[in-house]
Amino acid sequence: MESILLPTLTKKEEIDRIINNTIDKVLVLRFGRLSDENCLLLDDILEKSARDVSKFATVALVDVDSDQVQVYVNYFDITLFPSTIFFFNAHHMKLDSGTADHTKWVGKFHEKQDFIDVVEVIFRGAMKGKMIVHCPLPPERIPKYQLLYKDV
Amino acid sequence: MEEKKKKKNEFEFCKVCRFHHDHGPRHKYFPRHKELLSAFLNRFRSKIADVRFFLKNPSFLRPQEESQNRVWCVFCDEDIVELGSSFACSKAINHFASSEHHKNVKQFLWKHGPSMDCVDDFKISDADLAKWVRKCTALGNRDASSCKGQLSGTSSDILNNLEFERTEQVQTNYINPNDLNDVKPLLYNNTNEYQISHSGVTHYGSHLNVDASHLPPGVIGMTSSSSSHSSDSIGNVHSGAPPPWLNPNAGSSYSGQLNQTDMTGVQENMPAKTSKLNPHRVGAAWAERRKIEMEMEKRGLASSSSNTDADWLPNFGRVWQSGTRKDSRKEFEKEKRKLVVKTVSRSTESEERKLVKTESVSMESEEPVQIQPYVSKRARREKSGE
Repeated sequence: MESILLPTLTKKEEIDRIINNTIDKVLVLRFGRLSDENCLLLDDILEKSARDVSKFATVALVDVDSDQVQVYVNYFDITLFPSTIFFFNAHHMKLDSGTADHTKWVGKFHEKQDFIDVVEVIFRGAMKGKMIVHCPLPPERIPKYQLLYKDV
Repeated sequence: MEEKKKKKNEFEFCKVCRFHHDHGPRHKYFPRHKELLSAFLNRFRSKIADVRFFLKNPSFLRPQEESQNRVWCVFCDEDIVELGSSFACSKAINHFASSEHHKNVKQFLWKHGPSMDCVDDFKISDADLAKWVRKCTALGNRDASSCKGQLSGTSSDILNNLEFERTEQVQTNYINPNDLNDVKPLLYNNTNEYQISHSGVTHYGSHLNVDASHLPPGVIGMTSSSSSHSSDSIGNVHSGAPPPWLNPNAGSSYSGQLNQTDMTGVQENMPAKTSKLNPHRVGAAWAERRKIEMEMEKRGLASSSSNTDADWLPNFGRVWQSGTRKDSRKEFEKEKRKLVVKTVSRSTESEERKLVKTESVSMESEEPVQIQPYVSKRARREKSGE
């Protein structure tokens, strides 16, 4: 089942194209698989808020089970699903949410407004030239996870 | 005694203060009410002053200025619109001179104002009205003769032509009833005269509205000529000219202009927008380059080869990588190459040694990862010391 509003990418070329074509807007890439419950919840929130943030952000979904996408799964060090990565002008934006991994957002958002707040903070930071921003959400709303280094 | 003091009044709305109160008749003596009332009356006085100006200097009312000549009479609570009246503020003047208006003014001041001495400020006396009417007709007659010459030279305006024909036939007929109207007010009693003249004037006014042919020639001729002068070059509904939006020449030129403006706008928009955006924002240089590339692609100058590079990777700082983002990309590419080598070596080995199964050496990392618990310097020193 594909989402009606958000584009689902299955090839590296598609991902490259969307990264290259999103200029002066935050690009939100969700890496996940549709069989995952958390991923579906996250997708629901992304779909609902995509229009609200459309002026300063573009949202796209990446199917992690596709073969061609594995290079990005490795490059972005994605081990837990769903993971959301933020780009601005083909530059990766880091988000310090108090978790171990600042390069991405792991898990789902509690509500639409949380997602919109995060994207807004990223946009503001990017427009000021900051490549890492501080997450505006309170710690209870941030999904916790254990990051393992090579299965340790 | 106490009962009298506690007599409850019903809530009523004060038009001046614009709120509901239960003060009863005492309300009009309150200082705040007095202040608001004086402001209220001053405002209306200024409006009446404007109308009085036209009373002394009657001038013709052009149709396009009709909407500007609306007056709201606060005493009668009605809007006076100058529809089809030939002279400026004629309806307003007539209204302010009417007996009904006088009655309303008295009532208002009785209810709201402590004093009744300013009644005359808001009325137009009958004498003034009579003078005004005489001036109007004099003005009308005077201009009728002067504009006759003008009328002959007007354009193919249907209305004008009709009027012109009728003016010549009807002019003599119409002056007489006018004079009668004028004469009557002076001869008769005040109140009677007023009503007759008022009704006569309104009748006259209604004719003005309803049937163009019955209008006094000089006046309508003047207004129509003025309107015709304005719409001479363009043409109008009466002349049968097409509406401006359907005019083919204008439309094409407009669309052509639009196209030009569009193009220039798009071209200008690009640099304009970038100048507004922060030049220090993340990836600004890349964004500028990309915009130029896209612009070139749009125009057909092919430079899309760079985008389809299979090995292109975005700027990404990896998780377990310390150092710059370029370093992380380099490391990743190194790992990729090793993976490729590994798969190639696997395939070649399998080809060469089909019978013997050998295990491939894992080349995932150059150095095997030594995972050890962290031991502090002091502990190490102590250990070595021991």
